[in-house]
Amino acid sequence: MNPYIAVAALVFVVGVMFTLPLVPALVELRRKSDALPLSVVQQNAGEIRHFANSFRTYINGLEPIIMNCVASGTIATGTLSDGENYVVLGRVDQALVRTLAERDPTHPVLVVSGVDLAVGPESTFSKDIYARGQFEGGENNSYRAILGERDVHLGKASRVLRWVHAVGELTADFGCRLYGRVSSDLLIQLHADCSFLRVNAPRIEIGPASSDANRTPQDASGFPPPSGTGPGTSPRFLHDGDFEVLAGQTVRSNIVIRGNLHIHSGARVCGSVKSVKDMVIEDGVSVEGSVISARKMRIGPHCAIHGPVIAERELAMAAGTHCGTMEYPTTVSAPEIEVEEGVVVFGSLWARERGHVVASR
Amino acid sequence: MFGLWLCAMISVLYTIVFVICVYTARHYFFTLNRLFGFQRHPYIDIDTADWPPVTVLVAAHNEEKVIANALSALMTVKYPENRMLVVPVNDRSTDRTREIIDQFVEEFPGRIQPFHRTSGKGGKAAALKDAMELVDTEVILIFDADYIPGAGLIKQLVAPFFDLEVGGVMGRVVPMNAGTNLLTRLLDLERSGGYQVDQQARMNLRLVPQHGGTVAGVRLSALREIGGWNENSLTEDTDLTYRLLLNGWKTAYQNRSECYEEVPENWPVRIKQIMRWAKGHNQAMVTYSLRLLLGKHRATMRERIDGTLLLGVYAMAPITLVGWALALGVFYQGVAPLHGVIAVLSLTAYAALGNLAAFFEIAAASRLDGTRKRICLLPFLILGFAVSIFSVSRAAVSQVSDLVTGAEFHWDKTERFRKAL
Repeated sequence: MNPYIAVAALVFVVGVMFTLPLVPALVELRRKSDALPLSVVQQNAGEIRHFANSFRTYINGLEPIIMNCVASGTIATGTLSDGENYVVLGRVDQALVRTLAERDPTHPVLVVSGVDLAVGPESTFSKDIYARGQFEGGENNSYRAILGERDVHLGKASRVLRWVHAVGELTADFGCRLYGRVSSDLLIQLHADCSFLRVNAPRIEIGPASSDANRTPQDASGFPPPSGTGPGTSPRFLHDGDFEVLAGQTVRSNIVIRGNLHIHSGARVCGSVKSVKDMVIEDGVSVEGSVISARKMRIGPHCAIHGPVIAERELAMAAGTHCGTMEYPTTVSAPEIEVEEGVVVFGSLWARERGHVVASR
Repeated sequence: MFGLWLCAMISVLYTIVFVICVYTARHYFFTLNRLFGFQRHPYIDIDTADWPPVTVLVAAHNEEKVIANALSALMTVKYPENRMLVVPVNDRSTDRTREIIDQFVEEFPGRIQPFHRTSGKGGKAAALKDAMELVDTEVILIFDADYIPGAGLIKQLVAPFFDLEVGGVMGRVVPMNAGTNLLTRLLDLERSGGYQVDQQARMNLRLVPQHGGTVAGVRLSALREIGGWNENSLTEDTDLTYRLLLNGWKTAYQNRSECYEEVPENWPVRIKQIMRWAKGHNQAMVTYSLRLLLGKHRATMRERIDGTLLLGVYAMAPITLVGWALALGVFYQGVAPLHGVIAVLSLTAYAALGNLAAFFEIAAASRLDGTRKRICLLPFLILGFAVSIFSVSRAAVSQVSDLVTGAEFHWDKTERFRKAL
C-alpha cells in the first residue's frame, strides 16, 4: 500500500474513532433538545391544597351549568375543552349515580354535584368528584380524588388514590386507605385501621371525638401554653452518649443528645429536644419546642409536644398525646408512623412511606 | 544519588496514585449511595410550624443587573410577612444597585431594611460581618443577588433549624441560564453532580455537607459561638462549614430546596471564579485539615475523614498534574514501577473505572434529575475538566507565591450576564 494513503487512512480511522463518541454530544449541543433549566417549583410552595385548588379552577367553567342544574333539579352531561366527560348533578338522588354505574362501573366521568352527594357502596370513581354540598361515601368505595365544599365522609374501607379535600370536616371510617393528600380547612377524623400518607388540617383527631383521650394534656397538667415553638435562643445542652431526663424533672434548656434519649413520666422540657439515636418519651411529658430523633421515636400517652415532631425512621404515638395547638399548629413527620386512637395533631401529619391508625390499647 | 531520586519519585507517584484511588472510590461510593442507599430528607416535610423570625441577607456588589429579580422574588415568598426581614447588603456598589434597592424599600415599607456599605474591607464575608449589626433573629438566610428564590424556599431553608444540632443549612443551586452555550451546559452538569449526588450523599451518610454561602442559612447563636464571619476568608462558606463542624454544629443539606442562579457564560469569568474558589478552599484546607483530622472536638470519625477529603478536592488538581509529570519522568528513566499483569490490570482498571468516576457521578445525577439528553454532553466535560485542572493548579501556584511574597488575596466579583430590569 502507498505509505501516504496508509497514513491518511490511519489519520482518518483515528479521527473517526475519536469523533464517534462525540457525535451524540455534538448533535445535542446543536439541537439543544434538553437545554432548558432544570424545572424548579417556583410558585407553589408544596401547599397540600394545591391539587384541590387547581381542580376548583379547572371546573370553574361549569359554574353556569351547575347553577342551572341546581335551580331546575336536573342533571347535565357534556365534555370539557380537554375532552373530559362530565356529569353535573342538580338534585340529591343516589339513583342518578347508580344509573351512571350501570353504564360503566368505574364511573369514567367527572362527577360534579351542585348539591349534597351520596354515593352507594362498592363503587369505583376513576375520575375526580366535586361536591358543593355534603359528600357521603358508601362503604368499600374507591375514589381518584374528591373536593367537598362542605363535609366529606368516607365510608368504611374506602380508598382515595390521589387526594381528598374538605372545606368542612372530613371523616374516614374504619379501614380507609388514603394514599395521597388528605386535607380539611376544619377538622379531619381518622378511625382505627386507616392508613394515610399526608394529612393536614387545623385539627386532626385520631379516633372518635368522644374519646376520653382527646382532652388536652397541657390543660390537665396545668402547664401554660408556650410562647412560641421556633428555634429558640435558650442555651443548648450537648451530651455525647445516652441520656435520661428523670420523672417529673423540669429542664430549662434545649437538649441535644448524641445517643439514645429517654424522657421519663411527667418530665417537662422548656425547649427543644434532639437525639441522634432512639428516643423514648414516657407518659405525661411536655416539650415546649421541637422533638427530633435521627432514628426511632416512641411517644407515650398524654404527652404535649408543641413544636415539630420528626423521626427519621419510625414514630409511634400513644393515645392522649397532643402535638401543636390551635394557635401554634405543627408538623409530625416520619417515614413510618403508627398512631393510636386518641392522638390529636394540630397541623400536618406526614408519613412518607406508611402511616397507620391503631385502636387504643 | 540518582537511584535515590528515582526512589523518591516512585514513592511520591505511588502516594499520588493512592490518593487518586481514594477519591475515585469516594466518587463511586457517593454515587452508589445516591442510586441505591437510604435517602435522608428529614426536614423537608415540615410544612406547618410556628415559623420563627428570619433575616434574609442578600449580598450585592454592583448587582444592578440582577438585584431587582432577587428582591421581587423575596417579596412574593410564602412566609409570614411580619416574621421576615430582607436586608440587601449593598457592598460599596458604584452602579445603580443602591438606587434599585431604595426603590424596593419604598415599595415594600417595613419589609426591607437596606444596609448600604460605602467603605471597609472588600469581600462578601466582610460585608456580611458588617451587616450583622442589623440582625437580631436566630435564623439568618443568605442569598447572592443573582438568585431567584421560589415561593416555598424560605420555609424549606428555615425548617432544619428546628433541629438543634443544625447550625447551617444549604439548599440546591440550579443554573437558570443552562442552555446559553457549551460552558453553561457543562456547568449545569457539574452543578447537578455536585448537589444531586455529592451533597445529598453526604447528607445521607451523615458526613459533611458543604455550606455554599448562598441559598443557605446559619443559626445566629452558632455563628456567634464560632466567632462570626471570617472576613479574611476568600470562601466564607467553606470556612463556615468547618468552624461549625469543629464546634459541634451540623450543616444540613436540603436537596429539594432548589433555587435558580446565573452561571458564568464565558471561560475567563469561569476561570476567575474557580480560581477564587480554589484559593479559598485551599486556605481552609491549610487552616482546618489537621485540626479536623486529629484535633479534640465533637466531629465523628466519618466526618473527620470526609471533611478532610472535602478540604483536599482543590488540591487534587496540582497533585494530579504532578502525578502525570512524575509518571512521565519515571517512564523516561526506563523504569516500569509496576510489572506485567499488574500493570495491565491497573491500566485497565483506571481506564474503566478511575477516570470515569466523576463522569459516572454526573451521569447518575442527570438520571436522578430526570433529564435524559443532556447526558449526551458528558464527553465534553473533559474540556471543563482540563480547564479546571490547569486553572486550579495555577491558583495553587499563585497562592504559594503570594505566601512567599506576602501579597494579599483579593476578592473578584463574578460578572453577571443578565439584562438589567
